[in-house]
Amino acid sequence: MSSKTLSAPHPLKTLLRLPFTALVAVLGFVNRLRANRAGFIGFLGLLAYFIMTFIMPHFIPFDSEVNLDEIAGPVGSRIQLAVHRDNAALRSFEDLAGKTVGVVDQTGGPSLIAPYADSITIEKYRWTSRRAGPGIRAALVDLANQEIDAMLIFSKTVEEVRADSSDPELQALFAEHVVISNSELGPPHLLGTDTQGRGIATHIVHGGRILILTAVIGGVISTLIALVVGSLSAMIGGAFDAAMTALSNLILAVPRLILLVVLAGLIRFENTLFLGLMIGLLGWPPLMRAIRAQVLSLRERDFVEAARSLGLSTYHIMFREMLPNMISYVMINFIFAITFAMYEQIALLVLGLAPIDDYTWGVMLYFGRSRGTLYNVDGASMALSPVLAIAFFQVCLVLFARALEEIFDPRLRAAV
Amino acid sequence: MFDQQREAVLRVEDLSIIYRTKRGDVKATSRVSFDLRPGEALALIGESGSGKTTISLALIRKLPKNAVVTSGNITYRRDDSVQDLLKLSNRQLRAFRWKDCAMVFQGAQNAFNPVLKIRRQFEDTAQSHGWTDKTAIRERALNLLELVRLDPERVYDSYPHELSGGMKQRTLLALGVLLNPQIVILDEPTTALDILTQRAIIDVLNDMQRQLHFSIIFISHDLSLAAEMADTVATVYAGEIVEIGPVNDIFYRSLHPYTYGLLTSVPTLEHMQDHLQSIPGSPPNLIDPPAGCKFHPRCAFATDACHKDSPPLALDIGTHPAACWHKDRLLESRKEPV
Amino acid sequence: MTSRNADAQLDSSDVSGVAGALSTLLVKYPLHKNYYLRVFAQAILTIWAVLTVTFFLVRQMPGNPIDVLIEQILTQEGISYQEAYDRVASSFNFDPDASLFDQYLDYIGDLLRLDMGTSITSPGTRIIDEIARFLPWTLFAVGSGFLISFVLGIILGMSMAYYRDSALDHAMSLISSFFTGVPNYIWGLLIIIGPGISWNWFDVGAARGTYDPGLTPGLNAAFIGSAIEHALLPIITYVLATLGSWMLSMKSSTTGVLNDDYVNVAEARGLKDRRIITAYVGRNAMLPLFAQLSISIGFVLGSGVVIEEIFVYWGFGHYLFQAITVRDYTSVQGAVLILSSTFVFSNLFADLTYGLLDPRVRITGEK
Repeated sequence: MSSKTLSAPHPLKTLLRLPFTALVAVLGFVNRLRANRAGFIGFLGLLAYFIMTFIMPHFIPFDSEVNLDEIAGPVGSRIQLAVHRDNAALRSFEDLAGKTVGVVDQTGGPSLIAPYADSITIEKYRWTSRRAGPGIRAALVDLANQEIDAMLIFSKTVEEVRADSSDPELQALFAEHVVISNSELGPPHLLGTDTQGRGIATHIVHGGRILILTAVIGGVISTLIALVVGSLSAMIGGAFDAAMTALSNLILAVPRLILLVVLAGLIRFENTLFLGLMIGLLGWPPLMRAIRAQVLSLRERDFVEAARSLGLSTYHIMFREMLPNMISYVMINFIFAITFAMYEQIALLVLGLAPIDDYTWGVMLYFGRSRGTLYNVDGASMALSPVLAIAFFQVCLVLFARALEEIFDPRLRAAV
Repeated sequence: MFDQQREAVLRVEDLSIIYRTKRGDVKATSRVSFDLRPGEALALIGESGSGKTTISLALIRKLPKNAVVTSGNITYRRDDSVQDLLKLSNRQLRAFRWKDCAMVFQGAQNAFNPVLKIRRQFEDTAQSHGWTDKTAIRERALNLLELVRLDPERVYDSYPHELSGGMKQRTLLALGVLLNPQIVILDEPTTALDILTQRAIIDVLNDMQRQLHFSIIFISHDLSLAAEMADTVATVYAGEIVEIGPVNDIFYRSLHPYTYGLLTSVPTLEHMQDHLQSIPGSPPNLIDPPAGCKFHPRCAFATDACHKDSPPLALDIGTHPAACWHKDRLLESRKEPV
Repeated sequence: MTSRNADAQLDSSDVSGVAGALSTLLVKYPLHKNYYLRVFAQAILTIWAVLTVTFFLVRQMPGNPIDVLIEQILTQEGISYQEAYDRVASSFNFDPDASLFDQYLDYIGDLLRLDMGTSITSPGTRIIDEIARFLPWTLFAVGSGFLISFVLGIILGMSMAYYRDSALDHAMSLISSFFTGVPNYIWGLLIIIGPGISWNWFDVGAARGTYDPGLTPGLNAAFIGSAIEHALLPIITYVLATLGSWMLSMKSSTTGVLNDDYVNVAEARGLKDRRIITAYVGRNAMLPLFAQLSISIGFVLGSGVVIEEIFVYWGFGHYLFQAITVRDYTSVQGAVLILSSTFVFSNLFADLTYGLLDPRVRITGEK
């Protein structure tokens, strides 16, 4: 320390050099991480998640448009072009110039065809009308009778209407006249659609930010409390230590779910981030115990004894001597605290016990379960996508934390 | 004293071992040869890292995984049967260990399983070598514990953490001779013990050897211990035996500058502090050892010959074999009054 | 060790505050110096504190049982609000107008008489009976899952340590990180979506509940087989979700033990491999895992709520969840009492029995 203060460079220079030093440190760290393949994969995965949940939402709008004919579409589903058998050559929007094309409202059709309104005559059908019945059926009837030349429609619904055996006459009419000339007209829904026909992929992109922020807040708070309370308990001892130990025992002994449900109700938060606060406030006891034990054992070590015999302050001993010895341990546990906070908030969301304001992966899961798409092969994507998003995020965190553990703990490093 | 004429229990010939590491091959021992006769106490002395422990680990085939024996063989004789230790099968090896050759490791503090009573660990050892009668094991163990001057009943029913360091060391000695081995290897048997305990251990060892007639190989950098215990002393430098001979010859008529250096770096009652010298320099890097005599960079007698050719361990001048080109000059210098 | 020192401090500071009569009594009969009595008293105290906290907390949950039930009646029967209220109030077996504190005293008084009370939303149902009905299923599922995963984790973790840095080790490290990372309910959902729905290996609907309807509970093959079948999915989930952490803990602790001198010495002693692996390596490497065992029992029991909801397994977690949703205060309290006692006493049990496994920390009664 003293040599540094003697030859202290100009503060501005230090400031200018800071980004460079930081870059070197980060690159060095990444380089060490690369030796641990699994950890490196975890690190890259976390980077990918960061890009997906914090940067991509600025470019990909949240799909909130309800498309009733695309309910729970499978992965890769898209809008198709249905034509009369005699017009099977019509395949693209260019081919349709000058023709009359039917679209049904509350499907993706109207918005898809809107740019071509100049060249194409658009015939709109209402989703249901008292006079003509379901719009899709009415449009298909018109198509079969060649009153319109083509219609834009989602494959699954066409199949449903065509397979409807309650009216054999209609079924025969469709089978005879209607064909799909282009099954890939619209842009694909990468992950299919949810029960309201909205693109799941955009929900995955948008649904992670709040969850991750909440988990990080929970992790930060619980780690900070654990660090402060744990080291204070060990350093001060006595009644404070006893009280904190008793408190941590109490928190551990009350079933977590009940505490969170009650607190969630008490606070009535507008913001999911408060959930992170709650989780953080309840999550510190295990780490606090570990840190307390560590500080107690560090206190007995030679270098701390030496510092104390030199008359250095408790503050100095804690922050200059002890903290550097625990920082890696705390870092690793911080990451595990994030995974834990993630686990808890999503558990609450899945059970429907936490308030649902933001459309997150957890809420997607809740709807996937409560609306039963979980049990439907075509609609499984609605539950499976957030399941995988959560699972891979957690796995990346764990891989990263394990890699840190190996980098920091020489005991675990491969011998020789 | 041991019988010079009887056939050796152990014969090590031309043993070379390397450790494969990321930075290259460490030549831990090179062309080591020696004999161990029944009842003989052989001391391997040298600085840490000189390869003493590697030699002893090779004898019980407990070398680390990255070690490779590149040449040599080790023959072991019990009564009239002869075995090549490097060619033992796993089953033979397990039977050989402890029953024929026991090793008392450095730092007996952690040599015992902390969750098992001493009794259980004696029984484990005996039962693994086909000894089933627990009362017989107990009787033998109590005898041995008494021999190492412990309270046998109490120690036998203790957990390791209930014993002091010196007690554990002595218990390990007793365990070492439980199966009546022909050879006992002692790796730094007295380091980390206080001076009185050291004394007691040495006495115990002498007692035991007198009564049980095993051969001892012990590894130490403690020359006074070697002087007290050994019949034969071998000096190990950079993985080679550079001098070997009867204890008195080595101590009073040493022929290798390294041995001589070791001797003069130890205070004795006669030679007081002002004559103490340390050997300049540090042990060589065994990945890329110096050419010629490996000691030449640190040797006061070194000449061009030493840089080029490695001297053989030969019995030409003096009472015993040593590997040096300039034994005559060493003897000459020692005649001068110090 | 350190926590015991802290306990000692806690004890002395407590005693100083207690009334004089009590302290003279304690001087005469130094019961507080008996380690077993003291930790037992502490356990009881913790449970009491938990009960008190829950008692007041559950009554702060948004919505109350009366409203929930009134709403149910209103939607089902279409009668007036006042009618519904009267019916609900008369059927509830607690007096909504009594002060909270009186209710609390009543509750504690009943508990001391070993009476857990009756449910407030379905009057006449004794909570103890409900718990006896639901708890065994969860104990069965959680217990077997726990046992399987602990044993498997120890075996796999030890093999990873023995074959360190081999392809096996790397593959298993990756797998175990995967197992640890993926939350248990996610495993549950994956099992339903994958083998259950997409690949159609089993009938998700038929796996619900705890046993096939129509079977008589008892020691007959059909019932036991059915019970195992129904518990299989939760058990697999518990195993998958906890296996990874056991493997990794066991690997790191075995790695440590393998470097210990006594293992080296045991090999030099010519002991049989099996003896070294079990009594020398395994036993020592397992010691740190036993401390984790007690904590995770509480955790797994608590996490049963989500798993049982996902698989519609009618166990204790399901019971607790139902009680929470209808705001059945007394049932929630009963469930919490069971969960907290399990946690506190399993910890206590682990503390007291740890000495049997590790002679170095054997308690001498005084300490």
